[in-house]
Amino acid sequence: MIKFSNVSLIYPNSTTTVIQDLNLEITEGELVLVIGPTGSGKSSLLRLINGLVPHHTGGILAGDIAVDGISTALVKPGGLAHLIGIVGQNPANGFVADTVEEELVFGMEALNLTNEVMRKRVEEVLDLLSLAPLRHRAIATLSGGEQQRVAIASAMVTHPKVLVLDEPTSALDPIAAEEVLSILHRLVHDLSLTVVIAEHKLERVIQFADRIVHIDGEGSTRIGLPEEILRDSLLVPPIVELGRALGLSEIGITVRELRRLTQEFRETHVPPNKSQETNSGSTLIDVSNLNIVYDGKKAIENLDVKIAENEIVAIMGRNGAGKSSLLRAIAGVSKNSSGSVKVCGLDSQKLHGKVRRETIGFIPQEPSDLLYGQSVKQECEQADIDNQIPLGTTDKILAQLVPGISGHAHPRDLSEGQRLGLALSVVLSSNPKLLILDEPTRGLDYQAKRVLIKILIEFARVFNRSVVIATHDVELVAELASRTIFIADGEIIADGTTIDVLLSSPAFAPQVSKVMSPQPWLTVADVVSSLKIEK
Amino acid sequence: MNKPRFHPLTWWIFSCAIAISIARVNSPIYAIAVVGVISVLVFTQKENAPWSKSFTWTLKLSLWIIALRAIIGVLIGVPIPGTVLFRIPILPLPHWMPGIRIGGNVTLERLTSSISEGIIICSIIVIFGAASSLTSPHRLLRVLPIYIYEFGISIVIATSVLPQLVSSVTRIRTAQRLRGQRTSGLTAFKRIAVPLLEESLSRSLDLAAAMDSRGYGINKKRSRYRPIKFARIDTAIISMGLLVVGLS
Repeated sequence: MIKFSNVSLIYPNSTTTVIQDLNLEITEGELVLVIGPTGSGKSSLLRLINGLVPHHTGGILAGDIAVDGISTALVKPGGLAHLIGIVGQNPANGFVADTVEEELVFGMEALNLTNEVMRKRVEEVLDLLSLAPLRHRAIATLSGGEQQRVAIASAMVTHPKVLVLDEPTSALDPIAAEEVLSILHRLVHDLSLTVVIAEHKLERVIQFADRIVHIDGEGSTRIGLPEEILRDSLLVPPIVELGRALGLSEIGITVRELRRLTQEFRETHVPPNKSQETNSGSTLIDVSNLNIVYDGKKAIENLDVKIAENEIVAIMGRNGAGKSSLLRAIAGVSKNSSGSVKVCGLDSQKLHGKVRRETIGFIPQEPSDLLYGQSVKQECEQADIDNQIPLGTTDKILAQLVPGISGHAHPRDLSEGQRLGLALSVVLSSNPKLLILDEPTRGLDYQAKRVLIKILIEFARVFNRSVVIATHDVELVAELASRTIFIADGEIIADGTTIDVLLSSPAFAPQVSKVMSPQPWLTVADVVSSLKIEK
Repeated sequence: MNKPRFHPLTWWIFSCAIAISIARVNSPIYAIAVVGVISVLVFTQKENAPWSKSFTWTLKLSLWIIALRAIIGVLIGVPIPGTVLFRIPILPLPHWMPGIRIGGNVTLERLTSSISEGIIICSIIVIFGAASSLTSPHRLLRVLPIYIYEFGISIVIATSVLPQLVSSVTRIRTAQRLRGQRTSGLTAFKRIAVPLLEESLSRSLDLAAAMDSRGYGINKKRSRYRPIKFARIDTAIISMGLLVVGLS
């Protein structure tokens, strides 16, 4: 269905080859997963399939890509619209209509299909992706998961033979992600659709993949069955890491496989009784009776919460449950809130300038919002001047967090992980008592995530500071947080130690605990350390 | 939504008509009166959509333009004789720039003429701001003929990305405030403008890519799923606009 023959790609003004001499044939009805570190060219590979690269982006392409026999060099991306449906990394940026129904028909209208065909297909796709109740809704009012489904539906509705998705679950909560992926799985099996997905959160997609294409960022690619590629890859989901840590001879990719392989282990080992860490730190954040109203709807209702020093608290919940609202209220930038939020005894609404920087550090969902310098160096110097600390301090922090960033690079040109590192070092340079992060792991690969976890734990433990983090990433929460708060409809549903909260619902359980259930292990590190204790 | 949905071209045609009438009447008082009526119309009719804010933005922009024009009009320009309000020293210019004078007597006539010109220009800008805040750019695109393809893409990008800028500004300002920065003044403007420009550029590229990969403009013919028809109310509004042009 898709055939890459000797494909190489170089972008202008760049010295690195994105893809070198790639030969790949994807057959009909195959689900291929593209993995690789951040910024390695996964998106480029996907966009090569319908010719957006190089038609839209420029770049030098050698070799040939043919989809269903049509070479992408000869037609524009639009000429393949009937064959390929493509869903970008951020579907909200690609919407061209106001309501769900208008969005769905946009592609069909462009292909000049007759009215009868369009009517039939709209109904069909509304049912397929369970969008029927939303058909007349304005797209802007939908949640992230719903928007993602609309984007997939509008790519599906023209009956393409190939569906290309760039990180379809990165913005979704675990349950919405599960829903989207199981729909894709069904489409592959029922309609023999060919699907190509790029994704960082392997734990979510790995069980659906037929083959993996691994891009290393320096041009070389490896193609193979999931078991082959994951055997010696650096990017592996926790489940494979667990298999490696236990020294299993086989690689288990699904929870079911690994449970079969670890049956004996589970029967002979018991996790050590963790002494319940009671937090003795004094209260840092005191939220009482918080209410936030948006457009007449309550985003947060009568919420009370106290967070102590050196706690790492994860806030979880569905898309649109009020996580970001709560974070903004704690940071004191929520306009429509009532109630009191005290950080270090100070009203967070009234913090300004230096005092604010030294009290609260905030990393927004788009870390680049914080950055405005023309180069990394300029950005770091500005932070030094703002905080009246010796020049070079921020630079040093950055070098510790993410080594190897050139000072002359423009913040825009950094990879997702590097940009987060830069924003983080700018914020950390003022040494805040509280660090707040909103969804920091979007677009981060496993290695970048590991670095982030290490930094945050050190920040909290060594400097005795608190971290509050809102995220959908269950694995991150398992490894990082000491306490988890679960929010639904603006109310706290669960609040307790991470292990208690995560293990109480199967949808939010991390992979390791699914494999090890009923034994309460959360992470690979937990399993390894309890093995050591036994020895 | 209980408000009636108009044909997307209605308000644009109406605005064109009104703009022509403003230009023909050429009276600042008429222009201000029209802007007043249009403002009432916009604030009662607009939906809660991102592009609805463009009217308020054009209003703010207009005030800037008028002020700027008044200042420049006072400083530079042909001296109009009349009541002298005050004098500013004349800036000596080199001999190869004849006919241009900076400074000198500031007369009441000069001030009023530059302000009233400013008002007329700005009222036309505001009228089109009103049209764009009353019409969904996406619906507009659907009724435009396909052969103005490039134009169509630019319209969608301009009209859907620019309003999104408004929400991006709020978001970036919040982030900057969280970094403990001031959010007003010239330095702050630069701090907001840089990420904003970058973001809007990448958004526009995303949108253009999305439209392209969905086959926009590939076929010369485009089918309609739910054709948007001119209703009686649309005809009424447009004839009213034409009537105003006729009377002016």
